[in-house]
Amino acid sequence: MNIDFTELVWLDHRQEVSLGELAELSGLAQEELRQLVDSGALTPVNADEKQWSFSGQYVMSTRTLCRLKQDFELEPNAFALTLVFLERIRTLELKLQALDSQQPA
Amino acid sequence: MKFKDYYEILGVVRTATQDDIKKAYRKLAHQYHPDVSKDPAGEEKFKEIGEAYATLKDAEKRAAYDELGRHPSGEEFRPPPNWGGQQGTQGYSFDDVDLSDLFASFSKGRQGGQHQGRSMPIPGQDYELATQISLEDAFNGTTVELSFTVPEYDAQGQLKRVPHTFKARIPQGVTDGQKMLLRGKGGKGANGGSDGNLYLNISFIPHRLFRAVDHDLFIDLPLTVSEAALGATVKVPTLEGAVNLKVPEGITSGQKLRIGKRGLPSKNQEHGDLYAVVQIVVPAKPSDKERELFKQLAEASTFNPRAHFEQE
Repeated sequence: MNIDFTELVWLDHRQEVSLGELAELSGLAQEELRQLVDSGALTPVNADEKQWSFSGQYVMSTRTLCRLKQDFELEPNAFALTLVFLERIRTLELKLQALDSQQPA
Repeated sequence: MKFKDYYEILGVVRTATQDDIKKAYRKLAHQYHPDVSKDPAGEEKFKEIGEAYATLKDAEKRAAYDELGRHPSGEEFRPPPNWGGQQGTQGYSFDDVDLSDLFASFSKGRQGGQHQGRSMPIPGQDYELATQISLEDAFNGTTVELSFTVPEYDAQGQLKRVPHTFKARIPQGVTDGQKMLLRGKGGKGANGGSDGNLYLNISFIPHRLFRAVDHDLFIDLPLTVSEAALGATVKVPTLEGAVNLKVPEGITSGQKLRIGKRGLPSKNQEHGDLYAVVQIVVPAKPSDKERELFKQLAEASTFNPRAHFEQE
């Protein structure tokens, strides 16, 4: 079997993605992403709208948001709030993991 | 191909209205959605629920599903000739596909897939895979072989599940829970549509000594009472061999001692740190000699670890 070799792309703060890339990867429309920025749920790395780029960490949370939107038909207001909660859950899970690791086994 | 009873999966009767189907789906989605539920079996269950809803919410697909007839769940069956108005299904084996593949191809055909002679580009499906690597592999970088199957049309235009196998190089700097993207490694696009992506969720196999947090590592450091009270130099393992660690006198359980740059490497040639978490341990069954010495210490010492109790 012919097995090819593939390089991986980081999906965290070490990789930035453009608005177009984030739309393509998340499945959300660019307009929806703009609304998320306007509501403060999504923070671009740079403030210039023409050159917005985002931390790669948003790829997975916006993909989740897209799934939730499709599966639960989220309202626009719930939409931004959901992303805020998703990010908060991600941060809290990381903190919990860090605290657990500092406790003696 | 095995039959799935989509009505049974959603818990509705075959005459259910679209509204009933939607309500049933919503209820089950709240219970099993993998982004909401922590039930380990939830993901598989939700996949089934989503598949059933995707078919039954669409009048055309539902009619095509009903055309398949009623069979017990899990029974082998074949769609009737020219099922769902699709020409040329006669002679298909249907052995390598499941019902969800069939309805996915049904959608593609309707959108203008290759069987309809039109040419609207259809992007390939994205996939998510989980893989586990050892801490040592995360430290050194490694290569993993990934295998999964995707539904694709063969040269005869027959839908089949095709194995995709490739190697991916996981570089140094990866952390537990790291998400990575493999562009174009998902399902094949049709009519010039781009191939789907593959998302990889990397987790670490639990290590017998170290626990990882981002690029830092933690290790329990058991100390005797005398080592903790008087200080000591002890050997501590790291991923690059043991180092001597100077333990200051008077250290207590739970305190952390930092061993710089002995954690995991990060992307920009830097390293996290290793933290030794102190645990003061005593012999479960002291020898006669130890018992005698502990007694002498207790009698001679004025140290009261519970002095703050008395101040209240």
